[in-house]
Amino acid sequence: MAESGTSRRADHLVPVPGPDAEPPAVADELLRAVGRGDEQAFGRLYDLLAPRVYGLIRRVLRDPALAEEVTQEVLVEVWRRAARFDPAQGSANAWVFTIAHRRAVDRVRAEQKAADRTVRAGAAALDSPYDSVADEVSGRLERRQVRHCLDALTGLQREVVTLAYYQGHSYPQVAELLKTPLGTVKTRMRDGLIRLRDCLGVEATA
Amino acid sequence: MIADIHSLVGAYALDAVDDLERAAFERHLAECESCRAEAAELRETAARLADGAWSVPPPRLRDAVLAEMAETRQLPPETVRTPRLRRSRRFLLTAAAAVVVAAAGAGTAVHVIDDQRVRDQEVAARAASDREAQVRAILAAPDVVLRGQELRDGGRVTVAYSRARDTGVVLLAAGAPARSGQVYQLWTVRSEVPVSEGVLAAGEYSAVRIVRGMSSASVVGVSVEPPGGSARPTDMVAGVKIV
Repeated sequence: MAESGTSRRADHLVPVPGPDAEPPAVADELLRAVGRGDEQAFGRLYDLLAPRVYGLIRRVLRDPALAEEVTQEVLVEVWRRAARFDPAQGSANAWVFTIAHRRAVDRVRAEQKAADRTVRAGAAALDSPYDSVADEVSGRLERRQVRHCLDALTGLQREVVTLAYYQGHSYPQVAELLKTPLGTVKTRMRDGLIRLRDCLGVEATA
Repeated sequence: MIADIHSLVGAYALDAVDDLERAAFERHLAECESCRAEAAELRETAARLADGAWSVPPPRLRDAVLAEMAETRQLPPETVRTPRLRRSRRFLLTAAAAVVVAAAGAGTAVHVIDDQRVRDQEVAARAASDREAQVRAILAAPDVVLRGQELRDGGRVTVAYSRARDTGVVLLAAGAPARSGQVYQLWTVRSEVPVSEGVLAAGEYSAVRIVRGMSSASVVGVSVEPPGGSARPTDMVAGVKIV
């Protein structure tokens, strides 16, 4: 489990494609191959998805060490359950991130203690140095579109969506945090996602 | 109200619902094709939000994941292939009941609905089968209504009930054990009189209780009591109005 050094990092950053070069079908094909026990495909799926899985979990948990542990659990779960992925029910992307996000939310709600989270937030500020550099280069393209589309939401839509998705709050917690009625929060979550869908060009599965 | 359960579609896609709401919502999806299509699209959209959180993991994680993969047996495909965006009602209800039972049995309150833990034999063994069937029947009732409230000190209580069956399910998912050795106790208020619906053991902070005679109950409450419980509530931390 030793650090394999910086040369390794360059290695596995290179094949990570930007969104233009990566049609979602790639993940679907890889996941289907993984479902047939293809270990090499799993390695490629790792390279394709791990930065987003880890990034999402770290953002929700705000604790790099815990995020690493949960990311490992999630990716091994993807391996374990890959044969049960059914493309007719949705994309590989949605399948993987549903597992990842629910697991992260699970953990955050299981240990939702204010003091805890404050300590964690402090720890998260001490990022490992390679993160920020690698983040900037690799994530820029991916993030640009999502940020652009989040910016296109109304302030309240953006707040309810990000508080729920990136911080793992339930809709009653979001309502409490924003001092906004429950019904309004539910409605803004729905119409916010609809606006995001249109902006991102997400389509239902064929 | 069941009539507006579809208004949860955004919260559902963002995982901002509790287990009972998720189970009820998925039951709703099983019965509504256009709702399934909307939920699937919003799920795809929510997954794209992960793009906005890109962060390169430590290089050692790749080795650790691949090493664990090499030692992990894959699950076989599900034997019954589910048709496009359609699962059988029976499957959903079983999953819904399983998650409720699992929440009752385990120390933590929150479970991924199709998480492997739900299938854990240990949990299954704990699930009394008739109780599971009752929970399933209530969640499946066509007139099921969901009500919930945050507890004063964190956590949530959710009540699903059916007038037609005159029965409800109370899911308590407090965030932590009650303070200083005290315990949680569940109540209904009937004709202004509190009636105990069960006391949790010391250290327990999640529970599922079946409550009968819901038509005479105006409130489902949670209180904090000395170990063993009390005849009347001393410190109420939540009260869900039953309309």
